[in-house]
Amino acid sequence: MKTRSLLVLLGLVVATSAPLPAQVATSSRTRAHVETLASDRFGGREAGSNGERLAAEYIVSQLTRIGALPLPGRSDMFQTFEFTAGSRDGGSTITISRQTTATGGIVAGITPDQIRALSFSDDGTVTGDVVFAGYGIVVPESQAFGYDSYAGLDVKDKIVLVLRYFPEDADAQTKATLARYSDLRFKANAARQRGAKALLVVTGPRSPNAGELVPMTFDTAIAGSGLPAASIINSAAQWMVERPLVDVQKELDTGNPHVAGFALPGIRVSMTTRVIREKKTARNVVAYIPATGAVTGIQKPWVVIGAHYDHLGTGAGGNSLASREDAGRPHVGADDNASGTASVIALAEALSKQPQRKRNLLIALWSAEEIGLIGSKQFVTTPPVPVDQIEAYVNFDMVGRMKDNKLAAQATGTSPVWGSLIERANVRAGFDIAIQPDPYQPTDVSSFNDASVPSLNFTTGAHTDYHKPSDTADKINYEDLDRIVDLATAITRQLLDLDTPPLFTKVEQSSQTASRTGLRVSTGTVPDYTADVKGLLLGGVVAGGPAEKAGLQKGDIIVQIAGQSITNIYDYTYALDLLKIDQPVKVVYTRAGKRTETTLTPTARK
Amino acid sequence: MKFRRSAALFVLTVALGASGSAQPQPSERDFLSRIRRLTIEGRRSGEGYWSRDGKQLVFQSEREPGNPFYQIYLMDMETGNTTRVSPGTGKTTCSFINPATGDILFASTHHDPRSKPLQDEELKFRASGQERRYSWDYDPEMELYARSTQTGTYRRLTNKRGYDAEASYSPDGQWIVFSSTRDAYDRSLSAAERKQLDTDPSYFGEIYIMRADADGSGPKRLTNVPGYDGGPFFSPDGKRIVWRRFDEAGLLADVYTMNLDGTDQRRVTDFASMSWAPYIHPSGEYVIFSSNKLGFENFELFLVDIDGRKEPVRVTYSDGFDGLPVPSPDGRQLAWTSNRAGGREGQIYLAAWNHEAARAALKAAPDRKKP
Repeated sequence: MKTRSLLVLLGLVVATSAPLPAQVATSSRTRAHVETLASDRFGGREAGSNGERLAAEYIVSQLTRIGALPLPGRSDMFQTFEFTAGSRDGGSTITISRQTTATGGIVAGITPDQIRALSFSDDGTVTGDVVFAGYGIVVPESQAFGYDSYAGLDVKDKIVLVLRYFPEDADAQTKATLARYSDLRFKANAARQRGAKALLVVTGPRSPNAGELVPMTFDTAIAGSGLPAASIINSAAQWMVERPLVDVQKELDTGNPHVAGFALPGIRVSMTTRVIREKKTARNVVAYIPATGAVTGIQKPWVVIGAHYDHLGTGAGGNSLASREDAGRPHVGADDNASGTASVIALAEALSKQPQRKRNLLIALWSAEEIGLIGSKQFVTTPPVPVDQIEAYVNFDMVGRMKDNKLAAQATGTSPVWGSLIERANVRAGFDIAIQPDPYQPTDVSSFNDASVPSLNFTTGAHTDYHKPSDTADKINYEDLDRIVDLATAITRQLLDLDTPPLFTKVEQSSQTASRTGLRVSTGTVPDYTADVKGLLLGGVVAGGPAEKAGLQKGDIIVQIAGQSITNIYDYTYALDLLKIDQPVKVVYTRAGKRTETTLTPTARK
Repeated sequence: MKFRRSAALFVLTVALGASGSAQPQPSERDFLSRIRRLTIEGRRSGEGYWSRDGKQLVFQSEREPGNPFYQIYLMDMETGNTTRVSPGTGKTTCSFINPATGDILFASTHHDPRSKPLQDEELKFRASGQERRYSWDYDPEMELYARSTQTGTYRRLTNKRGYDAEASYSPDGQWIVFSSTRDAYDRSLSAAERKQLDTDPSYFGEIYIMRADADGSGPKRLTNVPGYDGGPFFSPDGKRIVWRRFDEAGLLADVYTMNLDGTDQRRVTDFASMSWAPYIHPSGEYVIFSSNKLGFENFELFLVDIDGRKEPVRVTYSDGFDGLPVPSPDGRQLAWTSNRAGGREGQIYLAAWNHEAARAALKAAPDRKKP
């Protein structure tokens, strides 16, 4: 499962893990695959690493063994692609000068030594006048919420200076709305749309991480913002604005849309941005088991099953949740996602032995999922078979930790076919299935939904070993993993044989699941995604985190926070936008059926 | 949300308050294990009733393309194959499988020429995004039908204006017991009664019994008390009928049993709440029913001994709706309807039923306080 999952945003870091009873199933169809892929030899299967290459070769050997073939017109089972593995500033510079209008001469200039390109910045050198555009937030008109930091400002061919985040003192509802459009990529886009030459960002003195440069985050390391963009330190911004920045910010922090930005007469900035992006090569494994007869005349003759096989390597990429003692060890990813990879191999093997398959079964094991679903995106943008010939996609991500017979089927909103296929197959399989229609999941099912393919994801949910070296093969529930394979086999079998391909239905992306990068508070909670409860069931709390300090513990169900009623995980993440760092809020929760209140004080999340 | 044999208008809202119960120890795991959602397709499903061999389940579901109302479906519990057994048009409700012949009994309005326009009207209303308080309309066009397993043809069993529905077979398949509002259309009503018919026709619901082959002898009326009598089922030995009776206001209900001729009517519950949807366990020892004793919108399943001597025992512990419990013929499974996955709409759930634990809990329950 990819990093930008809610889990990580909610600050999942938990130290303990309950051992599972030893498995005795000797005839498991998945165990050997998981144990192999999650062995230290593969070093955590980081995209572009030697371990990833070895894992791909293992998968190819297994697919070859079961009789799968390279896709038509190809000589091997690899789909190779280049990706950005990380980025760093390559020596960006800035010079700021002030001229007097009287003489036109330069009266002062500074060259701050601290500037850092934003990870999505274009490389370039620009010189220009500067306009301060407040928080730089533009709420789309469709939201019927009037907020445009550029109203009345002319930024054409200017350099725009904005504050990071969103108004700190606005009422909860306003904050919740503005937070969604405060992602720096939104801000860069808004500036560019209005003709700005470049974007400068400062973390205001009244905001969390005050005055700090914006880190070059890993999962935004994809180029294409279309203008140079960089963050500068407080003192540099202060020098340009000439008024105490804290006062300027305070006025804007009310959230009042009529508090306007202003031009900075006489200020000229010369800046050069340079981002060094490290390119690496990764490989999807793609193969197929042909239909038993000719597929001529069959509509959409491909069914795709897939799972990502890459993981975090030794965790250096920044997505690791390893404790300090465990840092640097291989993150072997038995559940994430050797379990899904094993499921795909086992499913393909089972179907390869069945007679009379109408459609081709395309088997895909993705790389570079953990750094942004890159492998599956590569597949749908440069598809080895036409995407409009794909009937449906079935994905597996973290399916090895089944508890209490609970299985989540996600993205079911992508087609009306899923309800009937799952219901029918599950009458026999007997899982306690949670149906989650939302296809905007932090896993490869999202790429296929974007390509308008009916998509389905299976998962047994997160756990306390998520993204840690302790996600090991001995903790996998193989017996139930095999049952999941059986269920998915029955569903895939039906897909192979349908007379008419199922309809794709578009699920509107709810604003709650839209950009989450504006989120910056941590409550130290670990949600249990598999639970059918109204509220947010805690699968654990971060040791020493705000939730633990508030007396919350595993098993508690949060039903209200900061006056917002919570019925699901989305309500909760929505409510997080309303929280302020270090500002205590009331939390209402139930424990063993008893309703209780406590006070929680959120902390900053870097 | 209409579920079999429910009368009153109740709304299940999403924002359920925590129904703070102060009993930490007991849980539904005491009686139910391997709880799982059985129906997934369609907007909602409910009222699952077992075939005699426990290999099939008949239920109602809103899953027919182009028809927003319930149709009746038969699920094969071994293969998972599900087929529609009602005609596909109009409204249907309350199905049951004949234990002797396998014929499927249900109520339907498909003969009503307005069926199709009504479907389109409802689809349009739903597409508009409006929400209505749930209200089951007690359509007087509702008539009982039996679908022959042999030929697949439908036989109309009733032919009288008034809501004829909520029907079930006797264990030998020879008799049908059902609820009907026909009395309101049979005679001239007083002004007050006419007003009552406009606002809540269920008030006129009474229990009737008839031959399953509808030999022309006609239904016989078994109850004669103001307020909605409905949801009747035979006891496993076929000697008694269990049903629920609402008060005149349609807000409170209790579970009753009686002989097949309507004599010896005994009240089994007195929660002073809406206690309904009773079904007798195949052992004959106790009744499983649903009650909102713990909160108007929080229906939970309860058990009570067949004579109602003891205090009822709570079975489910989930916010929202749990109702319409139906034990499998071997008494080892329970099918019921719940919205525990969230949202307003119910789906059918299935669990293993611990009969021994149920007996023990009833044995340990205190005697019922006499009102």
